Amino acid sequence: MSYSPSLAVRSPDPGLRSPVQKQPDNAASIEEASLLARSGAGDREAFRLLYSRYSAPLFTLAVRMVGNAGDAEELLQDAFVKIWRNARSYDRSKSRPFTWSVNILRRTCIDHLRKRRRQPVTAPFLLDAADPGRAGAENARQAAETHEDAERLRDALSDVSAGHRRALELALFSEMTHEEIARQLGQPTGTVKSWIRRGLLGLRETLTKASP
Amino acid sequence: MNPQLEELACLYVLDRLDPHERAAVEARLPRDPELAALVRELELSLESRIRALAPVEPAAGLLERIESRIDRDERMSAAAQLRTPAPIWASFARWGIAALIAVSLGTLAVEYLRRGPAAGQPYVIIVGLDSRSSALALVPLQVRSQDADASFMQLASLAERYWEKPGDLPVKLPSSGQAGHGYALFDPASHQGFIAIKQLPAVEEGKRYHLWILDTASGRVRDAGVLPLAGSSTGLYSFSVTPDLVTKPDHMGFFVTAEDTARSGAGLPSGKVVLGDRTPF
Repeated sequence: MSYSPSLAVRSPDPGLRSPVQKQPDNAASIEEASLLARSGAGDREAFRLLYSRYSAPLFTLAVRMVGNAGDAEELLQDAFVKIWRNARSYDRSKSRPFTWSVNILRRTCIDHLRKRRRQPVTAPFLLDAADPGRAGAENARQAAETHEDAERLRDALSDVSAGHRRALELALFSEMTHEEIARQLGQPTGTVKSWIRRGLLGLRETLTKASP
Repeated sequence: MNPQLEELACLYVLDRLDPHERAAVEARLPRDPELAALVRELELSLESRIRALAPVEPAAGLLERIESRIDRDERMSAAAQLRTPAPIWASFARWGIAALIAVSLGTLAVEYLRRGPAAGQPYVIIVGLDSRSSALALVPLQVRSQDADASFMQLASLAERYWEKPGDLPVKLPSSGQAGHGYALFDPASHQGFIAIKQLPAVEEGKRYHLWILDTASGRVRDAGVLPLAGSSTGLYSFSVTPDLVTKPDHMGFFVTAEDTARSGAGLPSGKVVLGDRTPF
């Protein structure tokens, strides 16, 4: 089944039983890499297509990081301007296009948080599955299925320990250094790095387990 | 895979590595399929998780705002990049292009307008130029940028604002129809400026346009460099001057001449004035 990542959450495909099944496929990644390459060459239409795919997930992340839609929108704007400017330097061998774009947004948000001297909003990212009420479900059956999927994902993610999840959240969404995270969690820096590793590996495993 | 390498892979995906560590991982990726596979799996996991979050849509119209900003930034960036001095500009001029060029012939009658800023208040000098007259105004700034680059961007923003909305210029010049016209902005604190020129005629073969800066009090003239036409007849250019050029900033004048390309180095203008006035007040 072909799959367009940008539509996955907004318009769930009834044929896909679980949100975690909706993994971006390689074809989509290759297509997005191509859109980045074309953007780097000045193709504005390719940039618009990339925006249509990435704007919602990146905006969602920005809102979670800075805590309000107004700032998040400004930061999303900054991030997409940087994506346009730096698209030429994107290298497929080093990262997926989505990861590359997420990192641009993260750095933009972290700069903002540092300037504002504000704490990031680290909402429980790993246990927060798509809310069926906001996921654009087209009917009750679809909503129920999405809810089941979310529950299944929550169950699976509960295997990841709270400490590992928290370390991963702080690594993803805060401007803190590893040393600062260590102080916040009351652990040695080495332990925190280990927790981040185990949190991310745990996420990978739970997503695999959650796929029927 | 050993835990240390796994940790590196995780921190790489999370963009938590120092630049040299990141470079080391990137160098290893092409020759370590196991590491590359792990990085891809971790990226996929994170991406899938992010995409499964309840989406929040940005406002409609944001893409248009982004594109508008990109257009604006690119024009300003083009100007900034060309601030690097070319050898011919000798020691005191730097140039940049944002767009095209223009010219006009004419002798300028000088109208002198002054809007004195409050004592100590930062300001920029604006000189309007066309084939019949020129005008000078001192425009107060609300805030003074703290470094040269910030000052440059502040000045560039102002120059571009006037470029897009010439009606906002504080100096009003008579309409000159199709003849060349323009305006110059100069920040006496950073010694940087912009000159905008519209509808200059194509330069004759064997000639090139030079910008000159005139101290209208002493009549002293300095070569500010060659206008890079790039096949255009309209343009927005940046320049900078050494601090010793003008003792009284409100005595600054600008003019453009067509000089022989064979002419080398800085000197005095010998070609025909095509824009502005070289006559001291």
